[in-house]
Amino acid sequence: MAEFLADAAADTGRPPAAFFPVWRRMSLQLALLTALGSLIVVAFTLFELPLDSRLERFAALGLTLVPLLLWAGISVYPEFQFYRPRRRLVGVAVVSALTASALGLPLIEDFFRVQEWLPLESVSQRILGYSLTVGVLDTGLKFLVLRYLIYPQALRVRSDAIAYAFAAALGYSFYLSLALVARQQPTLGFAALVVLGNLGVQLFSALFIALGIIESYFSDAFPLVLPLNLVAATAGSGLITALSPGLLSGPLSTAGSGDRPLFALGIVVATFAVTLGMVYFLYSNSERREREAYLGSGAADGI
Amino acid sequence: MEFETGRSPAIQITPRQRWSLAFSYILICFGLALGVNLRDGALRQASVYNNVEAGIRASYPARWLLEEAGADFVFRVRDMSFRGFNTRIEVSALPAGADSSARNLLDQLSLRRAQVLIDYTILGYEDYRLPDETDAISMAYAFVSRDASPFLESVSSLVNCLDILTIRRGQALVLSFCADASIYARELDTFTWFIENLEF
Repeated sequence: MAEFLADAAADTGRPPAAFFPVWRRMSLQLALLTALGSLIVVAFTLFELPLDSRLERFAALGLTLVPLLLWAGISVYPEFQFYRPRRRLVGVAVVSALTASALGLPLIEDFFRVQEWLPLESVSQRILGYSLTVGVLDTGLKFLVLRYLIYPQALRVRSDAIAYAFAAALGYSFYLSLALVARQQPTLGFAALVVLGNLGVQLFSALFIALGIIESYFSDAFPLVLPLNLVAATAGSGLITALSPGLLSGPLSTAGSGDRPLFALGIVVATFAVTLGMVYFLYSNSERREREAYLGSGAADGI
Repeated sequence: MEFETGRSPAIQITPRQRWSLAFSYILICFGLALGVNLRDGALRQASVYNNVEAGIRASYPARWLLEEAGADFVFRVRDMSFRGFNTRIEVSALPAGADSSARNLLDQLSLRRAQVLIDYTILGYEDYRLPDETDAISMAYAFVSRDASPFLESVSSLVNCLDILTIRRGQALVLSFCADASIYARELDTFTWFIENLEF
């Protein structure tokens, strides 16, 4: 396969998309998003820069599009300059957003009605509740999108799963952020936190789904590995969803309670860093094990 | 540098992979079932109200706020978590003479409400049978709810209500249920459950 790709790439004069640096591009996008979000939070929440309310509303709505625009500019467009690009990237993002719109949000709000009972529960109940409702639903829907759009027909190398999972997380979180910003009309600083926070939760679960798919498809792992990854995705997204509102709100005192946007921003950045670090570690480890197994089986040109 | 596994996209998934997909679907279904169970447990968690003096014992949603002995009611419970008009169930008792009819008592209530509620409109009367086979009469009505404070600048909302009145032992018991029109149909289940568990 590698030789075939190299020969074909030599014929077309373009490098194969399999060598497209997915992790580097994804980290760059998250770094840029975080920098932009921090700038907005500091400018509009701490320094309270004046902005016309109508303009602020449009800017907040526009902010929900920024992750997708960055992704289109940094990942999708360059990807299509390569030989054999991942053609379903845009499709996965669009179907994920439509799934969030048609199933995800309506089921969370009208079927599970989490806003009516979960915020009133204890911390442990909230974590469990969000994991078993929002977490399972979001993870399940993203898994189904990836299963039926890319698994196994669009998987050639391990990073394919990561690239498609990132697209699913972006599409899914885009609709959630858009709906929240359109309904609640938050300030620009808070809208930035909503966009980053939603992306953080969805990214965590999508990357763990991708890890499961990678292990299942490329390593032909034990059948319980994929479900266990889904459990990790569900538990992680439930944990982040349950704890983040509490971390955003300041402690109650006789003077009232104020928000802590910088603290929330720190939590979001930490979520990105921990998610990427953890998943990259597991991904590299799995890739290294397979490379060793492949070389050990007598294939000298494994790389 | 990427590591190519040598797999072709044309390769079908292996039995192991098929099993892992099956387990994943089962896990998702199982997780959702647990979530539904958790939701039902939380939403249907009940507290018991017992008033020996009025001879009323009722179960109400545990998350709702209980208020006792108001000017016009024996007790009422309200869902304070809903933004806008809080769904409420109110139980009140009216003295009923030997020649009082249920319809007359409802008309009295209507006259009183028409003076205090905005755009109070009666939607209809119907015969109603309580779970213990007692006959009662129901009256559906609607009004417009507006925030008490004009500084909140909130939009008015339409509220749908249902009164159920039954006369027993020289006393008329009125069960009133009111909810925002957008969630009325859904919340009516809670009222039905409340009536099923009411003892008086």
